[in-house]
Amino acid sequence: MLDPARPPSPPLLQPLGDRGLIVRFASELSDAANRAAIGFAARLRTEAPQGVVEVQPSLVSVLLHYDPRRIGYERLAGEIRLLLAADASEMSAPAQHVVPVVFDGPDLDEVAAVLSLSREGFIQRHCEAPLRVLTTGFAPGFVYCGFHGEELAVPRRTAVRPPVPAGSILFAARQTAIASTPIPTGWHVIGHTGFRNFQPDSDPPTVLREGDAIRFEALS
Amino acid sequence: MTELVIERAGPLCTVQDAGRFGALRHGVSASGPMDRAAFEWAASLLGRAGSAGIEFTMAGLDFVVGGGELAVAVEGGRFGLEVNGAPHPWPSRLLLKEGDRVRITPGPAGNYGYLRFDREMSLAPVMGSRATNSIVGLGGLEGRALRKGDRLAFGPPLDQEAATVTTAATPTDGPIRVLWGLHAELFPAALRERFATTEFVVSTRLDRMGARLQDPDRVFDTTLPLALVSDAIVPGDIQILGDGTPIVLLRDHQPIGGYPRIATIAGADLDRFVQLRPGARVRFEPVTLARAHAMLGQS
Repeated sequence: MLDPARPPSPPLLQPLGDRGLIVRFASELSDAANRAAIGFAARLRTEAPQGVVEVQPSLVSVLLHYDPRRIGYERLAGEIRLLLAADASEMSAPAQHVVPVVFDGPDLDEVAAVLSLSREGFIQRHCEAPLRVLTTGFAPGFVYCGFHGEELAVPRRTAVRPPVPAGSILFAARQTAIASTPIPTGWHVIGHTGFRNFQPDSDPPTVLREGDAIRFEALS
Repeated sequence: MTELVIERAGPLCTVQDAGRFGALRHGVSASGPMDRAAFEWAASLLGRAGSAGIEFTMAGLDFVVGGGELAVAVEGGRFGLEVNGAPHPWPSRLLLKEGDRVRITPGPAGNYGYLRFDREMSLAPVMGSRATNSIVGLGGLEGRALRKGDRLAFGPPLDQEAATVTTAATPTDGPIRVLWGLHAELFPAALRERFATTEFVVSTRLDRMGARLQDPDRVFDTTLPLALVSDAIVPGDIQILGDGTPIVLLRDHQPIGGYPRIATIAGADLDRFVQLRPGARVRFEPVTLARAHAMLGQS
């Protein structure tokens, strides 16, 4: 499912409601499709066709919100196909972040046990991985970071936990996520951080961008 | 300084402006009025209105004016309206003075009504907007629903233009028009056909985030694909939960989600949908994108 070697098939353009055009690079999560979505969203920030009012990258897609009074769907789809066909310009080097984490979450021992690792062994492997911010979404400042290796793959919990506090460090499906507001979650809670990605009074209100390089550092 | 003192507020009564646009990539949906047309009609009754108004819910709202004069307009759904005990028609434009007491009471139709003012509310915008995101706790008054005792202060009155009253279009009955959704192809053709011909019922579980539907004919009783990759959500998306419950996602929706979405309500019909009360029967009629765009031009 997460085969980085497999190139994504040509992206699919499709309407989402009557003010959205979604460019889907895959129908399931893969490293290649996520990189493609991030790269295309970055290009749209400088080359967005007229009538596009907002660009929203997600895990494997980019949604363009457009004003149908300013541009029709077919015209916009044509512009997007031209952009996709053109050579992508070089991406600038991603920003680097280190997020300090206290590994004290209620699910930490269970996750380590499922992976047949000691608590310390899991923490070490978790923090070795150079990860990438895959996207922001679901809740304000909530970021998905990936990908950990296959040896750290655990599914989500079957039950959803009532809201966990802002700063909770969540783990599942070869990803680490950072909750920036209190949210209910079906992910494993493995620790917490003092870092707050969402600051509504700052401009921009989030620190982490999709595509940024991120590493987690264990605080003892 | 003019202010408005809340004496009674129904649940989920919030400050709203047009919306907090451009923040989806930060994980923040736009919020804004559930019934956008009614919010704008209320402003048109005043000629020129402050960008922020109050959205109240079925139970209505009571308030007293303090400190000076205030022109207000009320619109959206059909509610009862009294000023100092005397009944007024709905919708209305009112010139209020200090001490005037307004009661907006439950009426025969609609879930949401709007109160607009001839001046701006003295509330600091958050991320460029005064709209309350009730789920996240952003904007409006302390990011929360209004309640008894709250005081909302206003700036000076705006220069008035002549009111160009655009009367509310008579809401059409009939089905709510939809476009096939992001995951429509995952639903078998026979199920899509049943979706488009069956009556659903608006449940009591509705809020600014979404409205759950009852599915008395069990259209969605089959096992659906789960664990889809999370993708962008737009207001009006109809998603199907794992237990088969359809939910229409609304203004305070999560920016992304992973449940399968069969259809999206056309922009021109979303205001009409949000005003359907619990117990109302609703049918969805698929239309083409061209038709949906033509409908936007007419509304």
